[in-house]
Amino acid sequence: MKLSLQWLHDFVKLPKSVSASDLADKLTNHTVEVEGVEYQREAFSKVIVGKVISVAKHPNADRLRLAKVDVRSEILDIVCGAPNLEEGQLVAVALIGAILPGGLEIRESEIRGEKSFGMICAEDELGLGQNHEGIMVLSKKAKVGQDFSVYLGLDDTILEIDNKSLSNRSDLWGHYGLAREVSVFYDLKFPDYEEFCSPEIIGPFSEKLDIKIEDSILCPYYSALKIINVTVKDSPKWLKQRLLAVGMRPINNLVDATNYVMLELGQPLHAFSAEKVNRLVVRRAKKDESIETLDDKEHALDSEILVIANSDEPVAVAGVIGGGKTGIHDGTKEIILESANFEAVAVRKAAAKIGVRTDSSVRFEKSLDPNFCPLALRRALKIIQETCPKAEVLAYFNSGSTKIKSEEIKLKASWLDEKIGETLGVEKYVNILRGLGFAVEIDGDILKVLVPTWRAAKDVKIAEDLLEEIVRIYGYNNIKISLPKIEMVAPKVLPEKILEDKLKTILAFDNALHEVYNYSFVGENQLNKLNIDPSSYLHLVNPISSEHTMLRQSLAPNLISNARTNQFKYDSFGLFEIGRVFIDISGNNEKGGESSGRLPYQEKNVSFVIAGGDNVFSRAKGVVENILFRISSGNVGAYFLPGESFPGFADHEKSARIMVGSEELGLVALLAKDISKTIGLKKESVIVEMSFNSLLEIFLAHRNSQYLDVSKYPAVKRDLAFVVDTEVLYNDLRESIASFDPLINSVELFDVYQGTNLPAEKKSLAFSVSYLSKDRTLTTEEVDSLQGRLLVLLAEKFGAQIRNY
Amino acid sequence: MKIKLEQLKKEAIGKLDDFLALVEKTPQEAQEKFRELEQQFLGRKGKLAILLKDLKDLGEDVRKESGEFANNIKKDLEGRFGEVFAKIKIAEPTDASIDVTLPGTKKELGSLHPVTIIQKEIEDLFSSIGFMILDGPELESDYFNFEALNVAPHHPARDMQDTFYLDKKNENGEYDLLMRTQTSPMQVRAMKKYGAPLRAIIPGRCFRSEATDSRHEHTFYQLEGIMIDKKINFSHMKGIMDLVGKRLYGEDTGLKMRPKFYPFVEPGSNGEYTCFLCGGKGCRVCKNTGWLEIVGCGLIHPEVLLAGGIDPEEYSGFAFGFGLNRLVMLKYGIDDIRLFNGGDIRFLEQF
Repeated sequence: MKLSLQWLHDFVKLPKSVSASDLADKLTNHTVEVEGVEYQREAFSKVIVGKVISVAKHPNADRLRLAKVDVRSEILDIVCGAPNLEEGQLVAVALIGAILPGGLEIRESEIRGEKSFGMICAEDELGLGQNHEGIMVLSKKAKVGQDFSVYLGLDDTILEIDNKSLSNRSDLWGHYGLAREVSVFYDLKFPDYEEFCSPEIIGPFSEKLDIKIEDSILCPYYSALKIINVTVKDSPKWLKQRLLAVGMRPINNLVDATNYVMLELGQPLHAFSAEKVNRLVVRRAKKDESIETLDDKEHALDSEILVIANSDEPVAVAGVIGGGKTGIHDGTKEIILESANFEAVAVRKAAAKIGVRTDSSVRFEKSLDPNFCPLALRRALKIIQETCPKAEVLAYFNSGSTKIKSEEIKLKASWLDEKIGETLGVEKYVNILRGLGFAVEIDGDILKVLVPTWRAAKDVKIAEDLLEEIVRIYGYNNIKISLPKIEMVAPKVLPEKILEDKLKTILAFDNALHEVYNYSFVGENQLNKLNIDPSSYLHLVNPISSEHTMLRQSLAPNLISNARTNQFKYDSFGLFEIGRVFIDISGNNEKGGESSGRLPYQEKNVSFVIAGGDNVFSRAKGVVENILFRISSGNVGAYFLPGESFPGFADHEKSARIMVGSEELGLVALLAKDISKTIGLKKESVIVEMSFNSLLEIFLAHRNSQYLDVSKYPAVKRDLAFVVDTEVLYNDLRESIASFDPLINSVELFDVYQGTNLPAEKKSLAFSVSYLSKDRTLTTEEVDSLQGRLLVLLAEKFGAQIRNY
Repeated sequence: MKIKLEQLKKEAIGKLDDFLALVEKTPQEAQEKFRELEQQFLGRKGKLAILLKDLKDLGEDVRKESGEFANNIKKDLEGRFGEVFAKIKIAEPTDASIDVTLPGTKKELGSLHPVTIIQKEIEDLFSSIGFMILDGPELESDYFNFEALNVAPHHPARDMQDTFYLDKKNENGEYDLLMRTQTSPMQVRAMKKYGAPLRAIIPGRCFRSEATDSRHEHTFYQLEGIMIDKKINFSHMKGIMDLVGKRLYGEDTGLKMRPKFYPFVEPGSNGEYTCFLCGGKGCRVCKNTGWLEIVGCGLIHPEVLLAGGIDPEEYSGFAFGFGLNRLVMLKYGIDDIRLFNGGDIRFLEQF
């Protein structure tokens, strides 16, 4: 919202010493955020008054003419296309370098071979009206060489206020309300709005308005005046200037009067041409009804939209916009001026439904004080009577109540001291509240506060609200800084947090993977390409893109996309993410409120992709082993098993389940070739995905693992290479060796060979087996005998033959 | 013959294993001992040599076969001895000159996401003053995201145009599941779980139904904080916010506050810190104001305390929230918010 300082001066006499930026700071620090200060003079910088000395034909264009324009310092050649250009006219000339309100920058140019050193402006180019019929011809008062803003008398200063910061303050959507705040900052006298209104409308009235309110919930209060003997014409200069200053385009004296009151008090008004409406009914729209609004657009309506209708059809969408047919037109002689209170949510919804948000709807959405309605009518009447002295009130209608529920709030000064953290004193508290229009009665230490109607509509209900009023006016920055004095407690540290940090370090720094944050969403097309069935996925009602319609059930799809987008920039790379996945089954968190249900499952997964380079599968498994080693203080080793059910994108023959003990933690999957081809991933890629909670269990189980005595006796290490059929799995062989005898304390694979020195269908697996006893030195004979029995077993079980060294 | 050779091999390997297991002397001593062992088996007068002398007494065929076998055994043993020696040998400086300016062996490095890095910085700060670090659901209920936070039933924030709702209706036929629009729902969850007094921060992912461009993202990161205790007041909130500014941006950092409306606090405030780039003089980043808008905060609304099961007569507190994206963007001079969720290594590896 734009705030004109000249307008503000109607209500508060600001000392000269207060600059616009001082005021902007005050407003920002105490009430609402001022986003900028705009000096009107600057809006027309490099636009000056010029006199057309001669007009000649353009040699190469019929519609264009060449003007010589005197701007006092020089005489400019300007090419102009306006039909109304004549010698002797005083005109607004935009010089080279001027930037017009619409953003047009004036440059030296050549038009059809003729040079042009500026532009003679039309009204619309200057942002002063809609007229583009021709150039704007200035009055005789204009002086050649004068700044155009000086000619217009535009020397107002405008503060741009952030609308968002006004969202809970319906009383600040007009100059009067903001002036009240300003009066408190500088301790200035603040007038009653009555002073600016025509006298109370009491009648008698010669006519009765036929108005019916059918929905008093959506329209708690409605009032209207029938005014006759009005003439539609241009508004007087002061009125136009005020509107222009705050960015409202002047239209005609009647419409301008309604807009003026809205911008001043915050109460929107609407004027109907009386001859076009026989009666008014405030009701919900009927199915299939529609309305053509002032902006010439047709809008379908429905029963949730409140309308003002005449006997046949809607003539306005209540609180949002009027109808085209019944609006003010050039011949209007009589008007019905509406000043009503509409329910905030209904107005917001109606505006959203028809897709039209207006200055009016924006205000109604904030919950307006119905007590503004009669004031606004009388203020508008006063302005209309100024432009149409013969205007006369023929009828007055009002219905509903302007009462607002406003309870007395009791609070103790000592409570305020305690909440603020320092004592400002009862007097200060009372002065601030009274300045803002609160009625305060002091009863010992207790303040009994009555909230004014314009604050009771929405924002002030409890003692804490009053605390805010006091603190903000006193100034947040004036309150001293102190640190709480409380009992020391060591914060509880959650193990899941420790593990997550640890995992990130392991993945990024032990394993050279880059952490990504991917979207929690996936799209149907994406899943289809990866051969993943989306039928069990949770969907968004209102996705904003077809790529993000569902909640991910796995971190893999987005990591695969990452692999694809990065593939040409790096030979080999890896990315990881720790994030939540969402599954449509009951999870651990309560929904809360009245529901006894639970939120859907949304636990974390740990996932990474390794793409490109040699041995991707083995490298990925290496990372898994590293993770488990590190989170279990070296106590847990992972092993890998083939499986039946892998995600659709996996090469099932080249994927494995990640196991620890008998628990499955997740999977390692090589991306299937056909899938890679479909999605355009040229690098061999492996995806690993594990359950964070499973890792957490392991982490917790080994968090307090004890130091193991280093054996005093030597370990005996023997290397054994076996030749087995290729189908024999490493893991089975390893298991058999490791569990063969308690004296075997470690089994490490150190070589796998398959190739020329071996028969086809055979592979060699070489293990380093270590034998250790805690209570004696093992003899060579003892180890030999153990190993002998082991070889027999392996030969029986797997057909394993010792490969001769 | 073969049997003898096999036995010899076993013996030698056994001795080597024993030797390795017992290496605890100084390297010199170990080397001496190793040489002894080597002489003992492979030396000119060693066990193998002695055994091989018997070869010539064998018949031609047997001799050839046994010779081959013996040779293999010898190679094997030499290999074994070589391996063991490699383990105990003392590195000797090489005489070849080196180019000392050559780079070191390249070590492959990964990276942490910049949000993780900044988040951790703030977490460390708050844990050092007794705050817990919590985590919570990203898919939230309407109750915790709005109702419990005193957001009116028809507040615009609840519109479909601002909030992602899940296509899953409750028993009353309403959409009551959504992607949380803020980390604030964790205020009430934390109060319910831990009660008062309470000090906690909650970093996390949030969502708004908003088209993305360089300045807008539908997925972003916040860090929420709450402190609840007896007699916590506005001045204390300023104290903690001031502390945060100084820890984030240095001891000379000032704090400026102004009113801001949030339904779940009263009074509500915005906090600005002295621009760390220009030190308050005014620059492009702070739009010449000398200040950076960093934090939102306020005294917790009594309705919110009640929703969390805490008696507002007995306890009071404040809550605050940082936009992590914004902190990271300011710190590193990032001007496109889409980079955070873009997964581009060229971006990620810089942190």
